[in-house]
Amino acid sequence: MERRAYKQALFAVRDSENALDIVQDAMLKLSEKYGTKPTAELPMLFQRILQNTIRDFYRRQKVRSLWVTLFSSLSAGREDEETDPLETLAAEDPSGAGALPADRLEQSQVIEIIEKELQRLPARQRQAFLLRYWEELDVAETAAVMGCSEGSVKTHCSRAAHALAAALRARGVEL
Amino acid sequence: MNEQQTAYRIRQLLNRGLDLDAGTLARLEAARERALSRQRVAAPSFVLGWADNVIGRFGGPASLIPRMLLPMAVLILGLIAVNQWRDSQTAAEIEEIDAAVLTGDLPLDAYLDKGFDAWLKRSSH
Repeated sequence: MERRAYKQALFAVRDSENALDIVQDAMLKLSEKYGTKPTAELPMLFQRILQNTIRDFYRRQKVRSLWVTLFSSLSAGREDEETDPLETLAAEDPSGAGALPADRLEQSQVIEIIEKELQRLPARQRQAFLLRYWEELDVAETAAVMGCSEGSVKTHCSRAAHALAAALRARGVEL
Repeated sequence: MNEQQTAYRIRQLLNRGLDLDAGTLARLEAARERALSRQRVAAPSFVLGWADNVIGRFGGPASLIPRMLLPMAVLILGLIAVNQWRDSQTAAEIEEIDAAVLTGDLPLDAYLDKGFDAWLKRSSH
């Protein structure tokens, strides 16, 4: 469980130290607040806590960036980092320059490409896709964790799957 | 390949990518242990505390006396307090009536007069 949670956090924040902190915080919150809940409820509760902890991280990062901006003169490049990743809607267009034929790729390379493409997805799409298909929550549970409608979950999942498939095809990876 | 099939293949590959380095695994394990230790502290106060209390009642006179005496003493003190409060309430009501009688315009003898009492009842109807 914690390995997938770590990976989820890593895809979201792209920093292993922060990802580890997030997973640790989420596990502590789960055990302290919901330790007496029935076991069947724990996976979903954990996912909800994990997603909230990731969101809190973004918020803290945003506030920190704001203060840094106020107290120092930074270049425009730095400001790009301040944008809330949750609000980033457009996925980066993956370049096909480094495309390699699928048969020449080792599995670990394919995994690496998938993980990078997952990181490039808009946050809500990545969140929906991972909760629905990796954590195997159903649509209603995913919607509850994300705090959105079931229709939104389906839309996010569909867009994420298509974006991932297209990005992988562009890099010469056939699933 | 449809959404489900794409998702299934990606899921398989993501699961194979869960082989993390030893350092990360160790830290995750430590975090898990820490979380579990917190749970062990938090949970027994509700569940095991109650169970222990129930078992302790049947654990012989040594455990029975302190476990039974304290709740009994609290109960008795509570009953005494309620009784005293009720007494004081009654006394206050009587005092109020007495004060009303003594400070009223009517002489005290009027209340003892049965004819006056009958007149009061009739006039109230």
